Amino acid sequence: MNRVDALIELDNVRKSFGDVPVLKGISMFVQKGEAVCIIGPSGSGKSTVLRCINGLIPVDDGFVRVGAHRVHEMRSEKQMRALRHQVAMVFQQYNLFPHRTALENIMMAPIQVLGHDRAEVEERARKLLKKVRLSEKADSYPGQLSGGQQQRVAIARALAMQPDVILFDEVTAALDPETVKDVLFAIRELVEEGLTCILVTHEMKFAREVSQRVCFTDRGLIVESAPPAELFDNPQDPRTREFLGQVL
Amino acid sequence: MFGLDYSWLADPAYQQWLLTGVVNTLKLAALSSSAAILIGMLGALGLTLRIFWIDALIELFVEVFRNTPPLLQMLFAYFTLSSLGLRVTDPSTGLSVPLLSAFACAAISLSLFGGALAIEAFRSGIETMPRAIVDAARSLGYGRWARFWRIEAPIAARICLPGLTNILTNLFKTTSQASVITVPELMYYAGQIYNDTFRTLEVMILVLLIYVVLVSILTFAMARLEALMAFPGYGRGH
Ligand SMILES: Nc1ncnc2c1ncn2[C@@H]1O[C@H](COP(=O)(O)OP(=O)(O)O)[C@@H](O)[C@H]1O
Ligand SMILES: [Mg+2]
Repeated sequence: MNRVDALIELDNVRKSFGDVPVLKGISMFVQKGEAVCIIGPSGSGKSTVLRCINGLIPVDDGFVRVGAHRVHEMRSEKQMRALRHQVAMVFQQYNLFPHRTALENIMMAPIQVLGHDRAEVEERARKLLKKVRLSEKADSYPGQLSGGQQQRVAIARALAMQPDVILFDEVTAALDPETVKDVLFAIRELVEEGLTCILVTHEMKFAREVSQRVCFTDRGLIVESAPPAELFDNPQDPRTREFLGQVL
Repeated sequence: MFGLDYSWLADPAYQQWLLTGVVNTLKLAALSSSAAILIGMLGALGLTLRIFWIDALIELFVEVFRNTPPLLQMLFAYFTLSSLGLRVTDPSTGLSVPLLSAFACAAISLSLFGGALAIEAFRSGIETMPRAIVDAARSLGYGRWARFWRIEAPIAARICLPGLTNILTNLFKTTSQASVITVPELMYYAGQIYNDTFRTLEVMILVLLIYVVLVSILTFAMARLEALMAFPGYGRGH
């Protein structure tokens, strides 16, 4: 794979929390339009990788690039603003701001951070709500929505920033099984439309169906990275085999 | 009725005293409450910066003002601030007068006392904020200030509102202690009136009722505000 063409490039990224090394040299490339899944045991550093990509946490060592942004060199939130415009993120839970309605949650950042025109943003927000099938919930507060509905609003909110990439961090892990389906459906649509996505997930079936590539992480390293059919059906590393044996 | 004698209430001089007292009590309460809320917000914001010496200063401030009697704080403010050379010459009379009146000293000391309590209340509201909400705000490009004013403060405010109601009612009642440093508020005039009339019980009952009414108005207003600001899933929201 050609790393210069890649939209996202991580090279030998290291990160410790205190004395505990959490990322021990992560390298990965993601092309524009690609959907990459990250799977691996809990605590292996999956969330930390995503957080390094959008600059939520600074890396200790290594190289992180998203488009033209050299993330590892950024120090202030101000420098990060253009990056945050390009990279959106959806978290496991408590994504939405509880004091604002679904529609307001989607509209806030484009207006307050990007300075876009309110009328235009409202139109965009309503379209996105329709896209995630929640038009009728525009005026509901997050506390009035189910977990799955909240996550779909969070996806719409991420899209409202018109990002080039969306990072999904186990967005269905905290949901009731019945609502997982709708959220995965919404994500699948985005991938099919060609939006670049990095998905940390425990949904192996989903990973196999939507992604072009799956990375398996263990103890701060990417142990194995391959197209899903290869990684799931013919894992090379014993740690991958063991993990898949437990979850499949 | 019950052998109580309220004939003195017909005297316009006493009526005037009571009215002035109520107005001054309201002024003192309004001023120190607003200042306390402002101090609380700034203090809580300061604590979110996580800078060692700022944390230490705010912590010290909270400990000192929360853990000492407000009456002592007021006496302290009165005798230090008004005597420590802070004097100005009154242009109309040419006399040298203290720069800070008793009223100003009371207002300052009540503001600091209420501010210390408010910092505590707001801090707990911000600390119970789920980390994911802060991360979500950051990932949407909100800088520190915008994040605080647009997201953390409004959510924290709604969480802290019941606590704040307690603080403000307490502060309102504590204004009565300003009478000790001769601030002419309601309690001060009450003393003047019963010294004049010897109708101690009658005056106290009346003043008690006035406080009940005033504080009830305050708590009612705060309850309305709570209902207005409630959102589903937090506090009073459904
Ligand atoms: N902010 C933090 N401070 C300290 N330790 C952290 C922090 N974030 C994550 N860790 C630790 O780093 C390790 C990897 O965490 P994480 O990236 O969340 O793993 P995963 O998402 O794969 O479950 C865990 O052991 C976790 O306890
Ligand atoms: Mg995680």
